[in-house]
Amino acid sequence: MDIFSGVGEFFLGIWNAIDKALIRDNRYEYYLGGISNTLIISLFAVLLGFLIGVLIAVIKFLCSRKKHIGFLAKICDLYVFVIRGTPVLVQLLLINAIFFCYRDANTLLAAIVCFGINSGAYVAEIVRAGIESIDKGQMEAGRSLGLSSVQTMRLIILPQAIKNILPALGNEFIVLVKETSIAGYIAVTDITKAAQYIGSKTYDIITPLLIAAAFYLILVFVLTKLQRLLERRFGKSDRR
Amino acid sequence: MIDVKGLTKSFGKLDVLKGIDEHIYKGEKVVIIGPSGSGKSTFLRCLNLMETPTGGEIIVEGESITDPKANVNLIRRKMGMVFQHFNLFPHMTILRNITLAPTTLKLMTGEEADKTAMELLERVGLADKADSYPNMLSGGQKQRIAIVRALAMKPDVMLFDEPTSALDPEMVGEVLDLMKTLAEDGMTMVVVTHEMGFAREVASRVLFMDDGQVVEQASPEEFFSNPKSPRLKDFLSKVL
Repeated sequence: MDIFSGVGEFFLGIWNAIDKALIRDNRYEYYLGGISNTLIISLFAVLLGFLIGVLIAVIKFLCSRKKHIGFLAKICDLYVFVIRGTPVLVQLLLINAIFFCYRDANTLLAAIVCFGINSGAYVAEIVRAGIESIDKGQMEAGRSLGLSSVQTMRLIILPQAIKNILPALGNEFIVLVKETSIAGYIAVTDITKAAQYIGSKTYDIITPLLIAAAFYLILVFVLTKLQRLLERRFGKSDRR
Repeated sequence: MIDVKGLTKSFGKLDVLKGIDEHIYKGEKVVIIGPSGSGKSTFLRCLNLMETPTGGEIIVEGESITDPKANVNLIRRKMGMVFQHFNLFPHMTILRNITLAPTTLKLMTGEEADKTAMELLERVGLADKADSYPNMLSGGQKQRIAIVRALAMKPDVMLFDEPTSALDPEMVGEVLDLMKTLAEDGMTMVVVTHEMGFAREVASRVLFMDDGQVVEQASPEEFFSNPKSPRLKDFLSKVL
């Protein structure tokens, strides 16, 4: 009898904790708000990071043969050096303090811009490696047909390069999604911040944080599936 | 058609071409032979500016292409090139490989390009491969596709850079046969090759290059039966 009541109390305790952290006073609404912010930041930061990364890598590649615009490559190198050399949290606080210090500033935008710029530096290095992995005969073949270097890049080199770097890119995006959990530092209510807020109300921080962790897990799981799907799509020409 | 005057090319301190004067007439089939390192590939690659000449002038149909203001991409449209390693685009179907340049450069509509490509594929007996990817093909088939891809741009001259050197012996024949047909159709061709049989049979003129210079040139009968310079005699005694 004692065992049964013991087990019963245990589950009742868990239920109470979940009830307190998730359901009572419509607290799940906080999580939903947090989830939506985390998704918005992640999605746009990934897009921005990818754009910046590809742009930087392509500029560096094209500048390497044209000496009169070599200074552009120097600027790109400086960007990668600074961004990779400083912590993302410091970048977040700095960008927020410099560009978003006015009243009613859109901190969500600040987070998107910061994470996008940060990710861009890493993506640039990944894409550069991808471009360099393509045989230089591909560029020659494209150019010999009369295509410009930019057309050859866009139609021939990049599609192959991106196929080669999909695993590394997927990795980078997964890291980025989890890094957005520091957005709370500039008062963005992402899922982590929402969990902390609930914890401060209920004097139980562990349950909300576990709920937040579960959400990140699901998000990364979906991203991994998406990555596999893309890899299969790009791998079409590998059939023999 | 192509006028080469005092062409030189150096890679750093290494002088690969030491002043070449040559004239290639319309409809001519010029075959260039010589030991490796003699500069024959570099000479060929200078003709469509795959390599930028260090000095001298190249005039194609009255237009100086070594002029810094010359539009390289326009010039290359009229000069097809075939590479030792085929350099097909592995992420595209055979049909797309062929139609890419004509459609991207807006020389043909999609339908026209498809039609032209299918006609050419029909001619080389590879129409059934239109929807395959390059890595499903044998080396000989790949090289024939590469030739078709260059022909789809309707070039005035075709440059061949050791087109059979990367092929298994039993596939050399099919590629050479296609090149012979092309020669019979009156195409202007410049061919760098080690295939002496091809030179003897198809060439209107054979050039022997050694140490960055054209050492000797003659009609194929004269060239093979009555070589004059000791260097050529030595070379022929080794390869024949």
